[in-house]
Amino acid sequence: MSFTPNRRRPLAPAAALAAAAALLLAGCSGGIAGGDEGGDGDASGPIKLGMLAPFSGSESAFGDYMKNGAQMAVDEINEDGGVDGRELELVVEDDACDATASVAAANKLVAAGVEASVGGYCSGATLPVLPIFDEAGVPMVIPAANSNALVEAGLDTVFLINGTGTQQAQATLEYALKVGATRVAVLNDNTDYSKDLADSFVEQAEEEGTIEIVLDQSVTPGEKDYSANVKNVIGSTPDFVVWTGYYQEGALITRQLIDAGYAGPILVGDGSVDKKFAEIAGAGYTENVVGTFTQTPDMLKGAEEWIASYEEAFGEAPGPYSTQSYDAVRVVAEAMKNAGSTETDAVVEGLRGLDGFPVFSGPLTFTDEGTLSSGGFAIVSISEDGTFVLKDDLQD
Amino acid sequence: MAAPKTRDAAAHGAYIAAPAPLRPRPAPLSGLLAPQRFMNGLGLLLFIAALALPFITASPYVISILTSAFIYVMIAMGLNVVVGYAGLLDLGYIAFVAVGAYTSGILSTQLGWSMLETIPAVVVACILAGIVIGGPTLRLRSDYLAIVTLGFGEIIRITATNLDVTGGASGIHGIPTWSFFGWSFADGLDLGGIHFSAKILFYYFVVIVALGLATVGAARLSRGKLGRAWKSIRDDEDASEAMGINGYTTKLSAYIIGAVWGGLAGTLLATHLSAISPPSFEFLYSALILMAVVLGGMGSTPGVIIGALFVSLAPEFLREFSEWRYLIFGVLLVVVMIFRPSGLWPANAVLPFLKRRKPPAEAVAGADAAVPSDAAARPHAAVDAVARPDAEGAPDPAGQDPESTPPDVSPAAPAAPEQEEVR
Amino acid sequence: MGFFTDDLFQLVWNGLFVGSFYALVALGYSMVYGIIKLLNFAHGDIYMLGAFIAFVLLGSTIGLIGEASLPVLLLVLLITMILTGGIGMFVERVAYRPLRGSPRLAVLITAVGVSFALEYGIRQIFGPSPEVFPFRLSGGSFDVLGGRVSVTQIVLMVIAALLMWVLQLYVMRSREGRAMRAIALDPQASLLMGVNVNRVISRTFFIGSALAGAAGVMAGAYYGSIDFLMGFTIGLKAFTAAVIGGIGNLYGAMLGGLVLGLLESFGTFVLGGEWRDVFTFACLILFLSIRPTGILGARVAERM
Repeated sequence: MSFTPNRRRPLAPAAALAAAAALLLAGCSGGIAGGDEGGDGDASGPIKLGMLAPFSGSESAFGDYMKNGAQMAVDEINEDGGVDGRELELVVEDDACDATASVAAANKLVAAGVEASVGGYCSGATLPVLPIFDEAGVPMVIPAANSNALVEAGLDTVFLINGTGTQQAQATLEYALKVGATRVAVLNDNTDYSKDLADSFVEQAEEEGTIEIVLDQSVTPGEKDYSANVKNVIGSTPDFVVWTGYYQEGALITRQLIDAGYAGPILVGDGSVDKKFAEIAGAGYTENVVGTFTQTPDMLKGAEEWIASYEEAFGEAPGPYSTQSYDAVRVVAEAMKNAGSTETDAVVEGLRGLDGFPVFSGPLTFTDEGTLSSGGFAIVSISEDGTFVLKDDLQD
Repeated sequence: MAAPKTRDAAAHGAYIAAPAPLRPRPAPLSGLLAPQRFMNGLGLLLFIAALALPFITASPYVISILTSAFIYVMIAMGLNVVVGYAGLLDLGYIAFVAVGAYTSGILSTQLGWSMLETIPAVVVACILAGIVIGGPTLRLRSDYLAIVTLGFGEIIRITATNLDVTGGASGIHGIPTWSFFGWSFADGLDLGGIHFSAKILFYYFVVIVALGLATVGAARLSRGKLGRAWKSIRDDEDASEAMGINGYTTKLSAYIIGAVWGGLAGTLLATHLSAISPPSFEFLYSALILMAVVLGGMGSTPGVIIGALFVSLAPEFLREFSEWRYLIFGVLLVVVMIFRPSGLWPANAVLPFLKRRKPPAEAVAGADAAVPSDAAARPHAAVDAVARPDAEGAPDPAGQDPESTPPDVSPAAPAAPEQEEVR
Repeated sequence: MGFFTDDLFQLVWNGLFVGSFYALVALGYSMVYGIIKLLNFAHGDIYMLGAFIAFVLLGSTIGLIGEASLPVLLLVLLITMILTGGIGMFVERVAYRPLRGSPRLAVLITAVGVSFALEYGIRQIFGPSPEVFPFRLSGGSFDVLGGRVSVTQIVLMVIAALLMWVLQLYVMRSREGRAMRAIALDPQASLLMGVNVNRVISRTFFIGSALAGAAGVMAGAYYGSIDFLMGFTIGLKAFTAAVIGGIGNLYGAMLGGLVLGLLESFGTFVLGGEWRDVFTFACLILFLSIRPTGILGARVAERM
């Protein structure tokens, strides 16, 4: 930085600008001077429910399933006269499964004046928006994201209606014990959700004591060749293998495991429960594969009617998280009805006060942490045509 | 990197004049329309507009995306130091942002440091990262460097995923906002009956730090001695080395400064998002920053700012194109490199209406214009190998300048009529 | 850590198998670099294109004749090689040739752009989730020295070895191969001696891309799932392999591929799967610091 002493800086433009800015401010009441920072919607129009879901990016397939499920609940409630005479309105934004995009989208929802949030699919994109919603007084009922980090954030406005990793791990352990496993190898794909689930399972298994964890490893996601990991699994001579990651890698690992000579059962987490799993693994490789999954409409008794009306409304079958999103809206509406208001504290109290509210995964009561008091995971297996069907609902 | 002492010239203080031109050239516009000064004014205007924005709309959405966008400008300016000034391709630049974000995130959440206290640690971490990765590879051909930096970006991301201290795959959450000596942005601020919330305060902080200090700082660095050395290395390494510039240390300095810029921007990003996780630092994001710099104009401050704003705000404005975005960016990169390699706003661009010149004054015969009147006042030792006659930048603390004005435009010297014979 | 017992053979075999893929892709990297000193960043994406072209071809063939077999796969492999070779030539003609003589930075940035355009173009067509390859090689497997070797692996490695052998013959024995070597040594002099430099460069791109395409088809048939980003990591690894072997050197690329495969196999065994890529790139940085010319690379002047 060098200054030539004989030069004067022109101050005229700066002064003119400052004057112009001052004028601008004086004539404007939309900004902070007018005290407007978004926030609460008015108490007479429709009640807006915000939903962040991925409509672009790698997980974009799930956005529509979630949106449609929620929309269906909104329509049904509005037909019944809404909540306290006010209609519900769903406001959807794309979070692209990306932190920066989700922060912008959450702020957009807050600016739109949503009273509650019923979205959240990717844990990594949901974590950064918790403080935003919390600060704006927007209670969150999260239908899909279920990382334990969401619970650890310790906000009393956050409620998870998808079973957490802890609960899924419980179901996994229950099934492993049921089939008499003694030596279990656990593999995760190093993503947030998957690692969470694996750690939970290992912890519970060690606590339980009858099962020996012979291997607990991460693999690199997005690869094709897992021979090195498979070799390690075979080397640990397990009689039960747990895969907690997504289907892209899970199917390849399953195939390579069986090629390498493993013949025992393989249990996959709900991220692998997808039609593509069987296609990628190939015919003859899925007989011993089971999965843990929250019950989907086609597994539930008496859900045919719901599926039919969903298909009628949206022209396609419901998918993963359609039911959870549908339930999220109903849960929020119920809490608002009980509270008789849309004020933050009242709604949170209403959510805490729910006792045995009937949802797809069974009667719902929230724990103090805002998670489900009972899991709702079932064991599914792969049928002839590659779809997952209910094998064991673990209800005994 | 001291200027070489040319034996006679330096010792006797003789000023070697270039042969005078045959006919006088018209002087450039002066006063407020001198290109350099005009750009400074324009920059100042934009800066004030950014400061005034919350008074026009305080919608959290607008504030949030602009905060992201300005942090992005700072990141792009940091990469611009490496790519635009020093001509080194870095395909893993986001790694430095990650180092900064994680360093401050870990220190603030685990040890309870305030963000301000984490800054020295971030700087040290980034300098170390820059030396570790630049040290061995900057001696090699520049295209090796590109791939090595890409590998380094992946190493940082995977390591952050695998370690417990970085929160593993779920990353770090609950990163606090900035606080100064006990007063935190979270407390808000009441001034003249207006309440400034934490978000608005942080927005102002980002505007001042990322736009006011970092962007102008990077632009001015490039016009100093070091910056000129970077550019000469970029343009011809052999010739520069022959002139006594140490190519290796010069490149390393650009690399480290770029790393520190990225790391500090990462600290801002960590605060803005409040939660960071490894997927935010994939190669894709390094490529997007590179695109911002290349599309805007490598080495050009206004270009990089435009590019960064475009790349960061495009997904907000073009929601329906979000799936097509990357394909379009890829094709654009190829097209730009082939047809307009200097980008949208080239580094030496002068706005068309600033190119007018004063009508030439009374023609002075060039033959007797031996030594310009200010020759005696010139610092003798500064016969720098790469110095331009207009090496002095305008000492304007807020504003952006086109990187280098064409050599015949001398923004530093107000054009007095007796100086019209160009040296 | 008793891997000097029954694990040893398995580790070596796995490493060699993966390494032969790396070697095939690394050849194209190395040849192009040797001739015009260009790092074709989009080379890994040609591998991905190969997989997708074969996916479409096989899909339509199975639609026509109802059954796929190894001969059909070999035919598809040939057609795919010709197509990916053509795409490689096209990319060179459109994106790289106009920039010959430009600063290296410009060419590299263009290559990044090409890579992006290929990846996300495929993504727009096929979507982001993985596609399932319509034909799977499956066969028996048998135990050798305490390790498992499948027939499929042997078949694929034989194909890879054949391709490399043919390439080696071509470069070392044919007129065109001699022209390539001449240009690698001195492009100006070759031009003066009447070598058609542009044509030879095009041909180099054709051959390199055809080999990468072949690797892509084989990966599809063996692993069974393909996605638009599958070329990214292998492109990086192939570059690493080329550097380890000595970039610009034909045998170096083959050797480097196998060495990297082995390094990864043993590295993963010791460190665990999640550290594999970190280990690989650390090897790259180490090699570049200590011996940038690689195992077989000749000492070259730093700047030309």
